[in-house]
Amino acid sequence: MKDYSGVVLTTPISMGYARQSPHGAAWFVGSVLREMISAAGLTKKDINGFSVSSFSLGIDSAVALTQHFGLCVRWLEQANVGGVSGILTLRRAARAVQCGEADIVACIGGDGAAHRSFEHTAAHFSNWSTDAAFPYGAAGPNGPFSLITAHYMERYQAQREDFARICLDQRYNANHFPGALLGHKKLSLSDYLNARPIAGPLHLFDCVMPCAGGEGFLVMSEERARQLKLPAVKILAADECHNAHADDPVQERGGWTQYIEGLYNRAAVGPKDVDFLQTYDDYPVISMLQMEDLGFCGKGEAPEFVGQTDMRFDGSGPGLNKLPHNTSGGQLSCGQAGAAAGFLGVTESLRQLTGQSQQNQVSNARLGLVSGYGMVNYDRGICTAAAMLQGVDR
Amino acid sequence: MNIKDKMRKRLKLSRPSLRARARPPKHRSVCGSQFSAANLPGVLQLQNCTDCGHVQYPPAELCGACLGGTLIYKETACTGTLLAQSQLHHSLWEYFKRRIKRAPWPIASVQLDVGPVAIVHLTELDLDTGDRVKVFSHSDASRSVVLIAVPAATDITTPELRQAVIVGMQLDKSAERLKGV
Repeated sequence: MKDYSGVVLTTPISMGYARQSPHGAAWFVGSVLREMISAAGLTKKDINGFSVSSFSLGIDSAVALTQHFGLCVRWLEQANVGGVSGILTLRRAARAVQCGEADIVACIGGDGAAHRSFEHTAAHFSNWSTDAAFPYGAAGPNGPFSLITAHYMERYQAQREDFARICLDQRYNANHFPGALLGHKKLSLSDYLNARPIAGPLHLFDCVMPCAGGEGFLVMSEERARQLKLPAVKILAADECHNAHADDPVQERGGWTQYIEGLYNRAAVGPKDVDFLQTYDDYPVISMLQMEDLGFCGKGEAPEFVGQTDMRFDGSGPGLNKLPHNTSGGQLSCGQAGAAAGFLGVTESLRQLTGQSQQNQVSNARLGLVSGYGMVNYDRGICTAAAMLQGVDR
Repeated sequence: MNIKDKMRKRLKLSRPSLRARARPPKHRSVCGSQFSAANLPGVLQLQNCTDCGHVQYPPAELCGACLGGTLIYKETACTGTLLAQSQLHHSLWEYFKRRIKRAPWPIASVQLDVGPVAIVHLTELDLDTGDRVKVFSHSDASRSVVLIAVPAATDITTPELRQAVIVGMQLDKSAERLKGV
């Protein structure tokens, strides 16, 4: 696979997070665009590539938004792949810039959260979900994920205390990230264990809170970023694989296994070298699958791994092995803003690697691994993607 | 009453939680509706590919194995193995919200012996992973077909026996609102 040399990611924007919002998806996408071009010192005319990810645009598509926002672009993409939309978009946009099809690509994910809209999204998520998952208790994603979690706990003797390690450290990170919707609340082990049950082994703090919000970043050439004096991040390697291991009766691994070795080889680094890890944490068990499949520990060893690992951004926890993980609090503490949630790990990585994080800055963050997972078409998430990012020397 | 209050009142009164009777989700895709129609008679009918013999679920327009376009519903062996189970304490749908108020709602995933994995309503709570089950189809109170798993020893050969399971789960009835408006 050709490398991504000469292309950088800049200008991470996360904005508008709210539990409910009167605004539609277009408002969030457009507002991120406005913040982004103003932060980068650009005008709309400079943007000639546009990528949009959203679940709630309705009958509008990415091209409708170009008319709404008065954009004239030569490269357009709509990536409705939920939890991998950030990384998938990043790969496509980087190639577009590398091949000269676009100069500056605005990659944006945004979703609204109107009254009862989550119910609608869950009921109409996909044909298979509508026909064969939603009618069974109408639990939304909690249903399939409670089965995946129950299976994992039984097969690998995971306990709720192991999942708590992920949730608690992420909440600590969120307590230091002003943008996190639940960042003002502390979470203790007893809060976690005594939370009300939601579905099987899943309790309240295992489940993300659906919310509204927008996330985005710019992709451009390294030279252009230097001219604009924008702190930037390089893509050392990135890959994706969808619908892997389809014959596993219950999901206990994802498509990462198909490419992670090659990804580390191309990036010339390994899991021990990264300064932080951002996983897609719609449920803590899914973060565990990613830690295993991305090579941080073996299959079934994640419960032990998280027990020994301090996943706080500042390394202030008792664990001897330090691995800052979901340094903004992840979706479990920030909220899950529809397709924007697939951008969360990418934008947070960009802030960390360019030193733009505020209180939650990982010290000397140079190298970060970000991973995506998503789209519960029926009984499991079928998309996976991962990217190794490195800060550009300033 | 101004227009804002009027709209607010209308929104309030149209809430599912205020309706007298709540039913299970009715909506299905076109393939899902065909699945419902095909499953009115018999224990369990699944799509069979006439080209490669692949048996598939959830229903789709093409064969997931050979992409053949001729799929017919055939009576299928209803036995399977329990893969995972969980009890729901929270639902997005009013029917299940009302049922869950009385007791958590059990669901499971089952590997059918003919191949596919199905998410099902579960009748028994004291089953273990790996236990043998039977899965049959039932047209619920919304007249859409859902799958029910029972322990393998349960006799479900006649419609009456299957109906008795359904009545036991109260799946044949809508969920009434307990307090009046």
